[in-house]
Amino acid sequence: MIWVNVVVQGLLVGGFYALFACGLSLMFGVMKVINLAHGDMAVVAAYAAVFLAPKLHVAEVWAFIVIVPLFALVGYLLQRTLLQKAIDRDPFTTLLVTFGLSVVIENLLLEIYSGNGQSVNIGALIAKSWQVNSIIYVSYVSLVVLGAAVVVLGALQLFLSRTSTGRLIRAVSDDREAAQLCGANYKHIFGVAAAIAFATVALAGIAYGIHTEFFPTSGGGNLLYAFEAVVIGGIGSLWGTLIGGVALGIAQEFGAHFNPAYQYLAGNILFLVVLAIRPQGLFGRKGSLNE
Amino acid sequence: MSSEERSTGGTGEATIPGWGSVEFGRRLGLKALGATAAVGGIAALTSASAASAATKSSTIKIGYVTPKTGALADFAGPDNFVLSLIRSSSHFSKGMTIGGKKYKLEITVKDSQSNPSVASQVTTELIQSTGVDLIVTSSAPETTIPVSAVCEAAHIPCLSTVCPWEGWWVGVNPKNTIGPAGNAVGSPPKYCSMFFFGVPEFVECFLPMWNKVQKQTNANTVYAAMFPNDADGNAFAAAWPPTLGAISSAQKGSTWTEVFGGAYTDITSDFTTMIQTFKTGSGGKSCDFFINCPLPPDFNTFWKQASQQGWKPKLATVAKVMLFPTDVYALGALSNNVATDCWFSPNAPYKSSLTGMTANAFAAKYQTVAKSQWVQSMGSTYSLFEIVIEALKKVKNPHDRQAVAHALSQVNYDGMCGPLNFAAKTNPAKGIGIIKPVGIQWKPGSTSLVGHKKYSWSPWVVDNTLNPHIPIQAKLEPTNS
Repeated sequence: MIWVNVVVQGLLVGGFYALFACGLSLMFGVMKVINLAHGDMAVVAAYAAVFLAPKLHVAEVWAFIVIVPLFALVGYLLQRTLLQKAIDRDPFTTLLVTFGLSVVIENLLLEIYSGNGQSVNIGALIAKSWQVNSIIYVSYVSLVVLGAAVVVLGALQLFLSRTSTGRLIRAVSDDREAAQLCGANYKHIFGVAAAIAFATVALAGIAYGIHTEFFPTSGGGNLLYAFEAVVIGGIGSLWGTLIGGVALGIAQEFGAHFNPAYQYLAGNILFLVVLAIRPQGLFGRKGSLNE
Repeated sequence: MSSEERSTGGTGEATIPGWGSVEFGRRLGLKALGATAAVGGIAALTSASAASAATKSSTIKIGYVTPKTGALADFAGPDNFVLSLIRSSSHFSKGMTIGGKKYKLEITVKDSQSNPSVASQVTTELIQSTGVDLIVTSSAPETTIPVSAVCEAAHIPCLSTVCPWEGWWVGVNPKNTIGPAGNAVGSPPKYCSMFFFGVPEFVECFLPMWNKVQKQTNANTVYAAMFPNDADGNAFAAAWPPTLGAISSAQKGSTWTEVFGGAYTDITSDFTTMIQTFKTGSGGKSCDFFINCPLPPDFNTFWKQASQQGWKPKLATVAKVMLFPTDVYALGALSNNVATDCWFSPNAPYKSSLTGMTANAFAAKYQTVAKSQWVQSMGSTYSLFEIVIEALKKVKNPHDRQAVAHALSQVNYDGMCGPLNFAAKTNPAKGIGIIKPVGIQWKPGSTSLVGHKKYSWSPWVVDNTLNPHIPIQAKLEPTNS
């Protein structure tokens, strides 16, 4: 039963990693933008849940209703202005621009909200869990986050494969020039993809803010695990990102079961093994890295 | 690389000739020697200049190094308020007569940015550019140890606080060690003094609370230890079990069994396996007590997950976190009855040695002026300057560094943090003054507390075994009943 618990808890952490990695996966898959400010954007969402939501008379637990659409808008605007300008130059510029964004965001947060730790307060719900048996306790919050990850990634996968906008996004991602020749406004399509990515970042950021105490500089640490989830799952595949996140979570729990000192080591080893054996990731297309 | 390029870039980093070269090795060696070697040079320079100019100066310059920004910024929160009180006290506003000569006192504040290398850098600046006569510093090993080390090398008197003395002792002089009984081994620094407490005081502060709750609830004498794989965590992991064992057996108390959660990495996102270990406990008994010294976000995650996983220790005594309201408000209702240590409390019968202001008035004024809840670091920061004045009263020439350093290490006075004797026989070593913390629990606030202002959460003194001067404010209650 202990082993079942290890898998269950790994699944729950993995759900969070997958949700966090979703936006990163989408931005990279469609625009080939590695958003180094991804983690910081999530932290901004968490700050918004603590400081902005109460001003709009929204309880912190329902903050996502306001913040997710707001982030989608910010994502679209940021993509159409700053990020598009960077993409028009070359990939290194986008890397530098997102890195710059990360530095600016951290310092702005420090300036506005000071270095004090914050947490999204959802009341008594945070302490509640579903007691499966004497060993397995499933936290409601983690369960909701895992559910959100499955729904978001699943819905996005369906959206990309079934709807016309989704097909346009894939077309632009596969061959931008050909899509343009057929009349696609790729800049708008990029904007839509960024809007979706930022909306998921907002969701992940709020989940993160509920889970722990965050500071203006907390973004960087999570970015690493999001990267690992994307790479393990395979670049460009959203289902892959879900599986990647879950695999990372379970690997970490297995490591932690032997000794908490090995928790992250186990996850990193999985990451290295996947890179060595299957560089395109579990669900990635061969050659997707060469595009 | 052409020879021409090499000569033009003589001072830059770009001229490192190659991995295998002697020059590269020499540079690496210099870098390793780094801080102390460079400061040794400064020492020669400053002592030469001091001998001529500073001895005649009628200004006593005091440097203050503090983490105004960064991860430790909470500690420095009351700095501006404390400094404004200090500067308006008579010794600072009107000057001080020493050896028949009138001196003006001047304080220069530098931000360590919670970063050890910045701390040593700004200390060097204070010594070199500002030309300070002495330096005071506060808040966490990351600030006080590098500052003290630089001062010791530069022969500048230095006083520090809010750092367990064990870390400071080995940090100021790398030849010093901590003995098997937790004693200080080696030679005391010549220019540096400090006041705070160490691992034995943590044990003496927490153990009476464990004993009481153990009797009250008939709890298991098995405790959970959550120590991270970092400097503080490893120090606690090594020192806590033997110190606890020694003190408990000396008091003919219970035998405590430790369940160590494992040396986890700082900023971990999931603690469920560690919590499982604590639930399993030892010998069929689950852990009913909890000790730790984590980073604030790790405690936040851990404590939420402990509650989700159904692990409810009878008493949680935490070190290094929950010292300030910030962590408590971030944790919300789960903060209720979490216990920690407190080295300055407004209900203490102590008062300023500079102005006679009581601890209570001091904290109440802070809450009115700064519009935020009092924090315990305000008392220790205030005392730094009280002690400086006490030492200056004892010297004939405030620019005589050896005399000032000696006077600092001999101070014996009553002030904002209570009676403090740097020369007491019971101190771990010369120049280490010990203040005695009391046990507090976070509970909902009340208008009966300082300033008659009710905050959502306030620290209540629940155990004063170590310092009976400070009255108990509330009953010690189990964290989870």
